[in-house]
Order: sequence, then C-alpha cells, then structure tokens
Amino acid sequence: MENVESVFNGIVKEYSERVYWHVRRLVNSHEDADDLVQDIFLKIWTALPSFRGEAQLFTWVYRIATNETLNWLRREKVRAALRFTSVDAEMERRIDNDPFFDGDAADRALSKAVARLPEKQRQVFILRYYDEVPYEEMSEILGTSVGALKASYHIAQEKVRAALGKSDFLPGD
Amino acid sequence: MSKRTDISTPEGYFDSLRSRLSEIPRKEEVRAASAPAGIRRLAPYVAFAASVAVAVVLGNFILRQTAVPAEDDGWAYISYLSQSMDPDGAALVDGDAWEDGEGYLSEDDIINYLLADGISVEHLNYVNYEEGY
Repeated sequence: MENVESVFNGIVKEYSERVYWHVRRLVNSHEDADDLVQDIFLKIWTALPSFRGEAQLFTWVYRIATNETLNWLRREKVRAALRFTSVDAEMERRIDNDPFFDGDAADRALSKAVARLPEKQRQVFILRYYDEVPYEEMSEILGTSVGALKASYHIAQEKVRAALGKSDFLPGD
Repeated sequence: MSKRTDISTPEGYFDSLRSRLSEIPRKEEVRAASAPAGIRRLAPYVAFAASVAVAVVLGNFILRQTAVPAEDDGWAYISYLSQSMDPDGAALVDGDAWEDGEGYLSEDDIINYLLADGISVEHLNYVNYEEGY
C-alpha cells in the first residue's frame, strides 16, 4: 500500500500540472478543470493497483484524463440541451468570462475556434498543438491509428484556419 | 501568439493542487473504513434500478388513465383499474399492450423522466460508463 501511495504521489508530482492544462483547454474553465483533475486523480488512485505497465505511465494517465473529460463534456452537452442552449455557446461564454484568460483577441479567437471543433478533432488538436504530444503517444492515448490522427489534425487545422481567416501561425504536422 | 500564456491560474495554484491530490489516498482510506465496500459500489445501481421501477409503474399508471374514454361514467374506469391490479393493489404491466407498442416507454422517455425527476446525469452516466483502462 505504501508503495502504491508513493507511486501515486510520484504521478501527482510529475503529471498533475500537465493534466490540468490539458483538461483546462478542453473545458475552458479553471474551476471545472480543478474539479475534474481531482476526479481524474481519484480515478488514477483507484485504478493504480491494476496498472500492469503494458502502457507507459504517461499514456495511461492521459487516457484516464481524456476519458473522464470526455464523459464530463458529454454530460455538459445534456445540461446545455436542458437549458435550451448549445455546448458551443456555453464554451464561448466561458472563454469570454474566464478571469484567468490573459491572451489577446487573437488568442481568444483561436480558443473559440478550437472549442467549436468536433470532439475528436478538438482532442487531437489540443494534444498536438498545445500539449505537443507525439502522434505515436497520441495513438496509445486515444486508441486511434497514427494515420487517422494525422488526418484529424489536418482537418482540425484547416477548420481553425478557416475560422480565423489566417494561414501562417499554426504549425504543420 | 503564445500557446500557454494566454491562460493562467490563481497564484500558488499548483502547489495547492498537488497538496490536495496527495491527500486522496488518506481520504479514500477513511472513506473505505466508514462504509462497507459492497454497499458503496452497489448504491448507484440500486438507486438507478429503483428509479426505473418507479418510472415504469408511474408511466403505466398514467397511460392507463389517459386511455379511459372521456364519456365514461367512471364505473368502467374503476372496473378497468381493478382488473389491472393484483390482490395487493399493485398495478400490473399489460403484456399484450406492451407488445403492441401501446404503453411502451422508450429508453429516451425513461431517461428524460429520470432527468426531470432529479436523477443526476452522473448517475445515468455511471451505469453506462465504460472502464476503458
């Protein structure tokens, strides 16, 4: 048990910040990201004894984070529908009202364009563009082939470029 | 345009986050000691099953009520109800009506009802949740 706890504390030390930024990009709110990170690490603690080491620790942690966040986003979609609004509009509202958003108008426009991407493309875009995760690791995290991920990122990039009317600031794949 | 500096966190947030996350093992130990594991694991399922049972019984009852013709004098309705009740007074599910599609509640109806009845989306999601790791 003590060994599991020390591994858990190692994961907290090593990955909590990265997980937070990843989740924050997906949910566009500090408070929700904070709640979700706690849920994610609770899940990690619960699942840790069954971690067999087939996957890298990093991809395993990210997979849990991604699954938890997607479940949260799906619930948010239902909540938005019950309020007769859309999750896209809710995400834009969050970006506009985020007290911890320090970027300029272009950053805000980029965040909104990313928030409007379909779920899978948004995940791929955030993992690649913001988190700079290599395609091979993304493939393990999302359970999708490298080719499909590259295609998703390319489509996401095109959509973001089209939304911003620019073509010179996004990195290629 | 920067990648990460466009968003920030409150001062000292990550120290506080790490400290709270490191408390998880201790908190879970206390929680595990305070409730039997079996009950804890089953609680969401029991709550969901009970809610579905209530929704089906209520839905069946309401549909039977609305099926009574408007010109009925009331006695036929009472007779109809008494035929639909078991000796203990509980409403029975009409098998034929169910198969004909009459009185059928779709999954969406039940989910909509449960959501409207205050069952949390988290509970519904919990049952459908796939442990993918």
